[in-house]
Amino acid sequence: MPGVSSDSARGALVPLSPESPGAVVYPLRHGLKSPISRLSISWSRGNSLRVSVFAAPSSDGSVNDGDGGKVVEVKLGGGDGEISEAHWRRIAYGSVSPFALLQSRKNAVSTLSKMSMNSSPYDGDWWDYIMEYSKDINALLVNQKSASVPVLDDTKSVITKGEEPTSLKAAWELLEMFYAEKPSHSWLPERLVDWLADYDSLFSGTHPTVHSKLVDFQKEFVNLQVVEDDPKYWEVMSSALAVGWLNIVVKMLRLHGSYQLDQLSNRETENGLVEAVAVLISKMPRMRLEQEAGKLGECYKAKPDFVKAWEKWRGQINKLDSSAFWFQCAHQQTREGLRSMLQIMLGNANSLCSATYNWIELYISHFLYMRPLTVGLESMYSLAQKSIQLKPMASAHRLMGLIIGILGENTEVVLAECLKGFGPWMVAHAIELLTAGSDHAEMLLHEERQNLGGISIEELHRLVYAQVLSSFPLTWQIAPIYLISCMKHGMILLQILLSKQPVQDNQLLLKSIEICRLYELHSVTSNIMKIAGVHHWKHGRKGSGVFWLQQARDEYRLNRIALQLFDSVGKTISDESFKQWEGLIQLLGSDSKTAGGLEFLHKYRDFKKSLRQIHDGKATDPARQAVESLISLMKNPSTPQRFWLPLLYDSLKLLNWKERPLLNVSQTNLLLNKLQELSMARLRPDFIESELPPQALNSVRLALGTNLGRAILEE
Amino acid sequence: MAFAESQNPLRVHRIPQSRYIDAVRWLSPVSPSDRFAAIAYFDADTNSPSIEIAYVDPNPQSSSPTLTPQSSWTSPSRISSLKTAHSTPQPLLAAATFSGSLHILASDLINGGVMESEATVSELGFHSGPVSAVDLREGGTECVSVGEDGRVNLVCFVGDSSKLSYRRIFDANGLVGYTAVKWASPSEFATGGYGFGIQWWDQRTSGGPVLQFKGNWCQGKTSGIVHSIDIHPSRKHTCLAGGSSGTVFAWDRRAAQQPIVLSGAGTGEAPNSLLSESEVWEVQYDRYTRRSNISNISSTRILPVMICSEDGILAVIEQGEEPLELLAEPCAINSFDIDQQNPSNVICSLEWESLAILTRS
Repeated sequence: MPGVSSDSARGALVPLSPESPGAVVYPLRHGLKSPISRLSISWSRGNSLRVSVFAAPSSDGSVNDGDGGKVVEVKLGGGDGEISEAHWRRIAYGSVSPFALLQSRKNAVSTLSKMSMNSSPYDGDWWDYIMEYSKDINALLVNQKSASVPVLDDTKSVITKGEEPTSLKAAWELLEMFYAEKPSHSWLPERLVDWLADYDSLFSGTHPTVHSKLVDFQKEFVNLQVVEDDPKYWEVMSSALAVGWLNIVVKMLRLHGSYQLDQLSNRETENGLVEAVAVLISKMPRMRLEQEAGKLGECYKAKPDFVKAWEKWRGQINKLDSSAFWFQCAHQQTREGLRSMLQIMLGNANSLCSATYNWIELYISHFLYMRPLTVGLESMYSLAQKSIQLKPMASAHRLMGLIIGILGENTEVVLAECLKGFGPWMVAHAIELLTAGSDHAEMLLHEERQNLGGISIEELHRLVYAQVLSSFPLTWQIAPIYLISCMKHGMILLQILLSKQPVQDNQLLLKSIEICRLYELHSVTSNIMKIAGVHHWKHGRKGSGVFWLQQARDEYRLNRIALQLFDSVGKTISDESFKQWEGLIQLLGSDSKTAGGLEFLHKYRDFKKSLRQIHDGKATDPARQAVESLISLMKNPSTPQRFWLPLLYDSLKLLNWKERPLLNVSQTNLLLNKLQELSMARLRPDFIESELPPQALNSVRLALGTNLGRAILEE
Repeated sequence: MAFAESQNPLRVHRIPQSRYIDAVRWLSPVSPSDRFAAIAYFDADTNSPSIEIAYVDPNPQSSSPTLTPQSSWTSPSRISSLKTAHSTPQPLLAAATFSGSLHILASDLINGGVMESEATVSELGFHSGPVSAVDLREGGTECVSVGEDGRVNLVCFVGDSSKLSYRRIFDANGLVGYTAVKWASPSEFATGGYGFGIQWWDQRTSGGPVLQFKGNWCQGKTSGIVHSIDIHPSRKHTCLAGGSSGTVFAWDRRAAQQPIVLSGAGTGEAPNSLLSESEVWEVQYDRYTRRSNISNISSTRILPVMICSEDGILAVIEQGEEPLELLAEPCAINSFDIDQQNPSNVICSLEWESLAILTRS
């Protein structure tokens, strides 16, 4: 057995091959004491492996604790860590509706554009649709963890914690701002500034960041008596200023000791300088559409207005920088700290570089203070390259790779980064944004490729995502939404998915059938029903089995199980067990098309019923009904031959009816013929003898003969 | 189709649970302001089923209801059916499982909703395979359970023996399977099953159902399964049933074999538009009505009915009127319960691992 290493008794299951030096061995605790004889590994749900470990039977034949086998589920990969499985499922559920809505709108738009011969189908409402989709998805990514409230009292807390940010949401917002927002790229730099303000903390795990420095400082802050003496105070403020967190900087500046009432008189100049800087910061001109209420900075929509304000603002900074008041400022740290902040505001490259901790922060500071008018992805990309050169990093955060891909306008890189960093859900949903406005991306992602088996990249990623959904018992039901959006392979994979679903439980079975009904997969429906029918039948639930086979209109299997039923009928349809059969017979209905060979049971029931009513041998009307039932049973080709004799034997009472013969000549002849046929059949080897007294055949023959004579006489 | 929003205000709150919900029921409150719910969960990550009692705060400061878990009971297997009895001082729960066991739980709502397992039947032979439905007799000490194995069992739990005794009322040996059950009176109950069949039982009469409603009334058209039955205490002659193909029908025992189809497949003479074409998972008489007195409604008329369905519909159907749609979800609504004390409140479980709480006003 190749899968079992020699020391299997200690629980190691993996053979080590010398060619793979990077292999890591994880011990698997299966708890079996005896040596392992057999091992079976199969996929379980999701990315779990099911390892079945079979112990060797003990040699002396004794049964010990820990014999037999164990099934261990091994989960591969620890998942995202940032987002729990339950949260992933919630995202998956929530993205179904936006995705389906967008697909139907896309279809509507494309049919409309075909009709009107419009060259560009993506006009008018199109961008609204895309934006709505993006916003709906974005809303799902909000972290459900409750935000921790800062312990510090409000005046001293410089950083307020909102919801815990996630990389997934950060990535989606990047895609949204670059692809979904109606292209107006002149606002992009400022959008990136806001984005970093929200998500800078995400980089703290792997890189030093302004955010982590602020958090560190805040911890020390509580114990500081004179903040302005601490060089960190100035350092942190410069950093925050460099990435444009104006509110935080102004708030920190106003914590400067010179504002305290008892010091105001002898530190008047110093305080004036601090306040002047604070005012300049809060008046910083920003070129953006709108400003959130309460945020500092003055916002300009038109470029000429902005440029005018920008020049004026820089003039004021220069004027302050060269002012004579600095010589009157006695506090050295304040003087140096404030002047270095002025350098940042003036866009001094060295100051910006030393105030920021990674290339994204440096990049953002360049947008803010050096090149606020940067427009176009090309120049944004070259600026990013320059920042990376200035602040190279050993390892790149997954968001950084994504940003580079987006700025480099390389759709393949963006997709690869999405897949690598955020998994199949991200790719399947991000493609909608990537193709929204770019003909190039659309061609690239929709082109059918030979190396992918004739499907497009878009379809490939949808199929991959659907496959992931299918492997979990709670999410497989939403996989069809994605599969049907795949033109080439979607339908066939959907059929396979539905055919693989378990049939044991009615509720799950009906959910599968409902999906079949929605997509008009009638053949799959009937297959599932057949499987369910046979399953129930095999497990002794005859009623359920018959029902499902009837629903599937499976004549063949109904006839087969009819034969089995007849065996038990012969034995058990006694008066006592009649109630049990009643329900099944009722289920069969009188519609012979769906009942198959079981139609016989129905008539047999009627016959038995009327027979029971004439036990006293006097009631003629029920007796006549019984005769009618008997004749129709004997005439019907679906009545199995082996029931002929028991039926006739049961009817002896009718054949020997005292008052008058109940059967006429032709009826008696029919029965005699059947009896003759039966005698011939008995000679064949495959004949099944009924459990009747040996003289049964003769007594029936005698009774029929007598009846024939009486009938002839009567006629 | 009428939408509820346009007629009367309806507040809906969806609360994600991160676990699959197999069943949900209101518990009768100790005081009028309290509201408790029993929820049968299945945690797919850890493969563990449980029942939890949760305090439902209808209007905390955040103005959306919150669920506060009070106590939890770990079940040996997933819950296939959950019922509560309302009139006892300590609400009782009957939980049936897919492994064929039945558990009676008692919850002490005064002392923090602590839940204790009062008694259990789990021996082999109780049911073979899953128990498909149970019903607790209101205020009583009896519980009836049915399964697709064709067994109908009566479980009595008097005294405090942890082992329950049960009596086999009937065993159809799998020739007939039962999928729904509901008490009608202390001695009578109704069961439902395949082919839209309903059986009427009287535990004083042995040897099978005393009356059968033939399921083949929709001949030629698709037949189906009865998933849920309800019987109104003041209209014991009528069985309300919901099942496959959006079918909701009532069987008046006095009117023999002709069903009154309220919605869905069947006779085709239903006046209302088709509400749903998929499985109707649960039906309950909707006691929330603006009419002052239900006794004004003629006894041949079916009282208003609430249903939930696989295609995500929660609606109220009144005979001969347009159905009133309360919810139209993108996923299935698997079960719901109307608060007995305050019928304006409805709780329902959604396929996508969440609960919805509706408040009608």
